[in-house]
Amino acid sequence: MATLELGIRDKVVVAPARERSRGLGLLFWAAIAWIVIIFAVAILADLLPLPSPTDMDMLEKRAAFSAAHWLGTDGLGRDELARLIFGARSSLVVGLCAPVIGVVIGGALGVLAGYFRGRFETLVVGSQDVLLAFPPLILALAVTAYLGQSIFNLTLILGVLGIPAFTRVARAATLALSRREFVIAAQALGATHARILLRELLPNVLLPLTAFFLVGVAITIVGEGALSFLGLGVPPPEPSWGSMIGEGRESLDIAPRLAFLPAIAMFLSVLSFNLVGDRLRALTDPRQGTL
Amino acid sequence: MLGFLARRLLYLVPVLLAVSLLTFLIASLLPGDLAYVILGDQATPEKVAALRHDMGLDQPIWWRYLGWLGHVLEGDLGRSFRTGQTVLQAVSERLPVSIELMLLAEGIGLLVGVPLAIACAARAGGAFDRFVTGTAFGMLSVPTFLSAILLIYLFAVELHLLPATGYVPLAEDPLANLRFFVLPALTLGLAEWPTIMRVLRSDMIATLQEDYVALARAKGLTPWRILFVHALKPSSLTLVTVTGINIGRLIGGAVIVESIFALPGIGRLIVGAIYTRDLVILQGAVLLVAAGFVVVNVIVDMLYAVLDPRIRHGHA
Amino acid sequence: MGAKIRARNVASIFLVAAFAAALAAAPASAQKQGGSITVGLELDIPGFDPLKVGVYDTSAETAAAAIFDTLTTLDDEGEPAPKLAVSWSHSDDFKTWTFKLRPGVKFHDGTPFNAQAVKENFDRQKDPANKCRCAFYVAYIHDVEAADEMTAVFHLNDPQVNLPALLSLQNTNEVMQSPTAWKTKGDDYSRNPVGTGPYILKSWIAGDRMVLEKNPDYWNKGHPYLDRIVLKPLPDAQSRFASLQSGEADIVWDDEADPDNIQRAQKDPKLTVHTYEGSGAQVSAFNTKTPPLDDVRVRQALVMALDRKKVSQAITNGLARPATNPYGDGSWVKCKDDGALPEDAEKAKALLKDYGKPVEFKMLVTATPRGRTIGQVYQQLWKRIGANVEIEQVDQATIPPRAFMRQFQLTPWRIVDLADPDPQMYANFHTGSPVALANYSDPELDRLLEHARTTADLDQRTEDYCAISRLINKQAIWFWSFQNTYYAISNARLKGLPKMYGGVIDVSDAWLD
Repeated sequence: MATLELGIRDKVVVAPARERSRGLGLLFWAAIAWIVIIFAVAILADLLPLPSPTDMDMLEKRAAFSAAHWLGTDGLGRDELARLIFGARSSLVVGLCAPVIGVVIGGALGVLAGYFRGRFETLVVGSQDVLLAFPPLILALAVTAYLGQSIFNLTLILGVLGIPAFTRVARAATLALSRREFVIAAQALGATHARILLRELLPNVLLPLTAFFLVGVAITIVGEGALSFLGLGVPPPEPSWGSMIGEGRESLDIAPRLAFLPAIAMFLSVLSFNLVGDRLRALTDPRQGTL
Repeated sequence: MLGFLARRLLYLVPVLLAVSLLTFLIASLLPGDLAYVILGDQATPEKVAALRHDMGLDQPIWWRYLGWLGHVLEGDLGRSFRTGQTVLQAVSERLPVSIELMLLAEGIGLLVGVPLAIACAARAGGAFDRFVTGTAFGMLSVPTFLSAILLIYLFAVELHLLPATGYVPLAEDPLANLRFFVLPALTLGLAEWPTIMRVLRSDMIATLQEDYVALARAKGLTPWRILFVHALKPSSLTLVTVTGINIGRLIGGAVIVESIFALPGIGRLIVGAIYTRDLVILQGAVLLVAAGFVVVNVIVDMLYAVLDPRIRHGHA
Repeated sequence: MGAKIRARNVASIFLVAAFAAALAAAPASAQKQGGSITVGLELDIPGFDPLKVGVYDTSAETAAAAIFDTLTTLDDEGEPAPKLAVSWSHSDDFKTWTFKLRPGVKFHDGTPFNAQAVKENFDRQKDPANKCRCAFYVAYIHDVEAADEMTAVFHLNDPQVNLPALLSLQNTNEVMQSPTAWKTKGDDYSRNPVGTGPYILKSWIAGDRMVLEKNPDYWNKGHPYLDRIVLKPLPDAQSRFASLQSGEADIVWDDEADPDNIQRAQKDPKLTVHTYEGSGAQVSAFNTKTPPLDDVRVRQALVMALDRKKVSQAITNGLARPATNPYGDGSWVKCKDDGALPEDAEKAKALLKDYGKPVEFKMLVTATPRGRTIGQVYQQLWKRIGANVEIEQVDQATIPPRAFMRQFQLTPWRIVDLADPDPQMYANFHTGSPVALANYSDPELDRLLEHARTTADLDQRTEDYCAISRLINKQAIWFWSFQNTYYAISNARLKGLPKMYGGVIDVSDAWLD
């Protein structure tokens, strides 16, 4: 359908000659560095010498930076640094796993729809339209109300909500590639559909999909943040950047750092994933532009 | 052209049916048995059973769906058990708010995004371009709820320039109405302009590489004319599409902004209906919002076809 | 809040009636006519028809206080004073109450207010065909008789010493609505209420605002003072307070879960913090039929682990007042010994050790910032004594059904400020009541509840209620965390706000300085 043709059009950008010779750039490496850091602390969180993120020192709420609490305590007296690090873990777990659902299911559907076309394509695109017609927050609310709140359900709902986007990317890429010479050649040589899909199309579709996957991580982190802000995300007392921002909101004039520290962490992480995803997209297809 | 239109409209029917079915299922499966909610403290098992029978809740789900669908096709979306309002009354009270918010937000997005996109495309790769694209990128990484809070803190609490919350109907006092809408529209607009800018910029850069533009340059046409007439017009397709999609999405999707700024829009109506288990309102309002989204998409498609003859003639 | 019966009240009240406003303690500043205020409410109001909404929440009560009148009101000392009723008397057994009504009062639609109207209000609520959720709360009233045009007689099933005080609350059971209006408007009545009150509903945009305008024909001449009241639901606490600060709202509802703003307002000379210490408490109920909560040692340990002062500090900056019984300081029930368990974490740990088995269960909280905070704090305190509690967040609408269906292990609940503890205590603890959430049946408890209900002697009743408290505390079937403290924050110019009885912000008699 016409609206989905958009996917093809916005990929076709020529990089100015200047850009190509620059290579990956400083920002890119800074973004990679940040991603590595948050991954490292998230994985090693249990091993680090941190106070527990859920232990409350109730008389020490909103304490300033100190030796005992490097970044102070939050509104209930819990260590802020520990909560930021464990929050990274929550955000990354959801941020990585949910797009996986999207890329696997959405990618498969998109490639198949773009390759086989016809009725199947109409069905796939139609059902995506149905899903997209719903305000996403409503779906999230309904799912959590019905299934209960947990990281698993959260990942599930965000993953499902991401499927249409991945389908669109995969289908657009497949549509573009199907007309290329190597596919037509393979068909002429009598290759089976499976062979064409797996050996010719998939490897070439994987690249834009991966790039979009990273952007998907960024979007999911924001989505999880919004849901947690509303109290629908990661269930307490497990910290998450979104819920920390929501909780910190009440202390905005007394201790703005409670909202700003997780906000900055979220912002940097989202920005980094966006940047890396974007650069990868630029690299993988010379016809495509950077930022 | 008519054939295309007919095909698109026909496509609408199964989609809307599927949407209505999904909505009904979601509403019916919500836990918190409705009879208990209505009866409150007097929920004895006998009363619950009696009320469920009265409300037809003991019928099989597909039967209830068909019944509801029948009513819907007659134009009767039902009445809230809480307020006694019909769904249409409740939605029509809130629709103007959501529409105004959505139009203003998209307007701000366009006002900021389009000029910046043109300026960047004109000097692609230059310092200005990189600065703006970088900022756009950064803005995409800021969640809506965060910008909302910051804006309120800055403009309402600290500077006392604008109201923090509230709403006055447009008909009653246009000036006050706009004052109340500035911060919420700005919050959403700040999230809209990056996408608009990036998409338009990409498109324009691509168009500017095309041969006919090189020809126009060779012919000696001024840069302004090239930009606006030859580059912007074809790129307007993507602009229309993006704007259309955004508008459709924003109608039901501005819940967070509506909550923080206390705007009585449709998003809040739906969320409130979930919280109070007002299933009639929930089903009706979600159906209307989803239907609206699908219809807007179809309109965008048709506009796209009007603007791009290639699509019209079946090359979609 | 005392409730003593003074025989001479009847005569003096009759005299005072026509001059009620003038005889009120002269305020430091004189009332000014005119002006308009905006009230920031917590919740949106669904409607006013008891048959549709059941009972009003605090937000609806604020609106109801302006649109409707009740038969009585409470004065500064918490004693019932005349409003639509000018005087009252009772039989010796307190089962029959006779109210003389104020003559010359009309509803906003012109219908005359008389005993027949009073009767119809109660009949409609009690009629089983109407299935009103409100019927439960007036079950103690057998019927209301219109003895003559201006005399309404209440025949009660059980003696109720505090009936006049109970009738002052601005809730569905007590406010007088126009029978003509509900008969003619049917389903639309709920959003077009008609009362006798000082303000008339002018316009109402759902979810946005309700505009009330001065009733020019109000029976209390000289009142009300303001020309207009605008009521706006502002569910988000920060936005609500921000509106007050920026001047868009003149008074807002608040509670101790928002202590920073309350304390900030206390320091601000432009704002006034109104507070009222009501009876009742914020409570939680154990489902005593589900393990491990079926063992009294476990329940007692959990209650003993609560360090209420610390919790108050953590959640409300110390504003919340710990509660040890269901009545609180605001109640006339004063106990020397309410049987409260000591706050002792070591003893709690010992009890759990004695129990031997691991203690794990789920606690229900509302999916709100406040609910989450309380849940996490309790979770922490219980973790320290060795109990593992999981928090289950559900939205507010799910709590009543889960509670009534007993699908919970620990649920939050509330005992609100009322003139008399009987309605809620009986409902919450008597065997067979739908709200007896603890699933706990004790004949002695039932006996005490029945005795307290049917006795007229206040001292006797106090003894009963204290014994009830001891029993409940010992068995730890419910526990109380904090007493009910109600808050409203207003612009310092707003005057004329009475005490927030029942937690209701009553602006019907307010004025702007």
